Amino acid sequence: MYPQFVIEAIYFGIILIVIAFIVVFYVLTRRGGREVEADGGHVKKAGMERGERNWILFLFSVALIGNILFLSPILPSARYTFYEAKPAMTITIHMKNYSFHFPETPIVIPAKTPVEFVVISEDLVYGFGVFRKDGSMVFQMQVVPKPYVNRIVWVFDEPGAYDVRSTEYSGPQHPWMFVRDAIVVEGGKS
Amino acid sequence: MNENERKILVLRFVVVALIFFALAGIEGILMRLRILNLLTDLFDERHFYSMMTAHPFVGIYGWAYMAVMGAFYFLVPYVMKRDVYSKRAAYASFWLMITGLAIIWTTTFATHYAPLYTLYWPIPVAVELAGWNPAAIFSFGMGVALVLASVLVFFFNMFATIFLPARAEMDGGEKAGAGYVFKELMLTAFNLDKLWAKVKGVPHYTARVFNYPVFVVAVFRGCVDTTLNAFVIGGVGVLLALFGASYLFVGSSPSHSLIDPLVYKNVFWWGLDLIADGNVLIFTAGTWYLLVPLLLNRQLYGEPVVRTVILADLVVSLLVWNHHMLADTPQPLALQIQGQIFTWGELITMGLTMFAVLATIWRARPVKYSAPLKFVLASITGYAVGGLAGIIQANYASNRFFHNTQWVIGIHGHIQLLVGLSLTIFAAIYALFPLLTGKALSERLADAHLLLMGVGGVVMGLAMGLAGTQGMLRRTLYPMGLGIYGPYMSVALIGALMMAAGFAVFLVNVVRAVGLGALVKLFLPHK
Repeated sequence: MYPQFVIEAIYFGIILIVIAFIVVFYVLTRRGGREVEADGGHVKKAGMERGERNWILFLFSVALIGNILFLSPILPSARYTFYEAKPAMTITIHMKNYSFHFPETPIVIPAKTPVEFVVISEDLVYGFGVFRKDGSMVFQMQVVPKPYVNRIVWVFDEPGAYDVRSTEYSGPQHPWMFVRDAIVVEGGKS
Repeated sequence: MNENERKILVLRFVVVALIFFALAGIEGILMRLRILNLLTDLFDERHFYSMMTAHPFVGIYGWAYMAVMGAFYFLVPYVMKRDVYSKRAAYASFWLMITGLAIIWTTTFATHYAPLYTLYWPIPVAVELAGWNPAAIFSFGMGVALVLASVLVFFFNMFATIFLPARAEMDGGEKAGAGYVFKELMLTAFNLDKLWAKVKGVPHYTARVFNYPVFVVAVFRGCVDTTLNAFVIGGVGVLLALFGASYLFVGSSPSHSLIDPLVYKNVFWWGLDLIADGNVLIFTAGTWYLLVPLLLNRQLYGEPVVRTVILADLVVSLLVWNHHMLADTPQPLALQIQGQIFTWGELITMGLTMFAVLATIWRARPVKYSAPLKFVLASITGYAVGGLAGIIQANYASNRFFHNTQWVIGIHGHIQLLVGLSLTIFAAIYALFPLLTGKALSERLADAHLLLMGVGGVVMGLAMGLAGTQGMLRRTLYPMGLGIYGPYMSVALIGALMMAAGFAVFLVNVVRAVGLGALVKLFLPHK
């Protein structure tokens, strides 16, 4: 399963809990509750204050765990950037006047090999995104124009053809910046 | 300005805001149809993108800002028992905003100028490549500058309303200037007075922020973000106007390379993000902090903590822009990781805000839910659903496949704005309506409005988000066919139509209560 689908499933699980919580909260708060003081209900009880402290602790823990997980090698993008950064080959692509200029068509890449894509824009901001044939995204990056050089290292596990699309709006010609079967990955498991 | 004049001012702001909301909604539905590759004969790609350029300006500034400005012009003096500092400035902000937006809208509609709200350099000035009309660049830039000038006038009016009378009292009526307001703002917004007292060793010093109601604290701390935002985005407007003027009057423009595209993008996102992560969240929190205790006749839970949370929100909001730059590989990696870590800070600040509001409601059991309270609860749900999606996409690793997809704008952006922010604004409208008009709105119609808009917003946002994980990009038409994204976009259209129906119910409710004539009379000169 693609990593974005796993994240999506976790997210939907969490928001289902959130929505259910709000519904239960609504139902419970409509019913009777404990007596509160006449000063507006600001009762200084250790229970609620402890609850607030616990909530802060919980939020900090979630933030800490979230950061650790997203910076760990679990997701391929972090793995290739932070942990396995040595590319075996480099492919340089130029972008100009709403067109991709590839070194060859299609670009042939061996599977399971770290490949560095170097993308240079001669004029505008573009995007460089690689997509599977089912439309799902493998990876992308923004293409900031010269003098900047945009680089990303990726390892393709699955052989087959991949499409390339500009992932950033650069003018009304943007939707046509799509190249079918621009990359072919060979070898590896089928 | 007497109370009646303030009421008229506020109602004018709100009615115009609702007109802009309707306009943004119509644009949204038209764009949804065009994404489905319908109406292709009616508008081509250029027209579509020009509409997409105007849409966020109309939605954010026309709807959200106008409504917030109107509400604050009433609520801040009401809470502080003071008059608005300047009536003239209040109306200046009103007309500057309408004029600026009218220029932006007309320019994009008439010339199909379409740099989008992102305005990534050098796209907005790429006359030869993108085929822009130089007059459109000038006019659009002026429109943006006017909109942000309106924002600046409004916030200086707010700061003066909040801080100036205190000086007048302190100095026996001595006239205080802008410098005094700025000093007071900086000292109070960032708790610098407390810091200074600590340095000086003053015992038992109470920070000045405690002199102000928590709602007002949220207003001026949020205004710090928005003022900075206005300088940055207004500055971009002036820059575009200068380039446009150069094309028009000299026949060429300065070299685009005068502006570094990456530095520009950093400055732009730093400024723009202050709306999303500073202004929207802090103003929303402030509105909840005001409405919920008022509606329940209860004190806000954990008020001292809440003031600190607002300060934390302000500081965090100044440091999160890098989550928009996670896909920019020339951006230093350290900055990207910093952006990721600080964005998680928003989970903490927003989580604490929600906790304080929910705890206040919980303590008021049994609660009789009025329309505004139901809208607040729904808006909390919207922020939770949209905010969590935002936290997920704002990580270096996940951004590789979420950046610029429908996930970002659907499940995060639109749910946050339409279910979170808009329902908060409607909560304020429902709460203020009887105060401003002396008439009551139907609770049953309000329930229908909430159900249609809340569920419609979530349906639309989730459908867009699901398309995003399938790889569908935002800001992209698929002229060669939508493929697997098609069904998701059809469901998103149903959600959008539900929201439109909800808004129609709201309009019926208002017209039933006050009549169309009263709304028209509002804009006639008053004695």
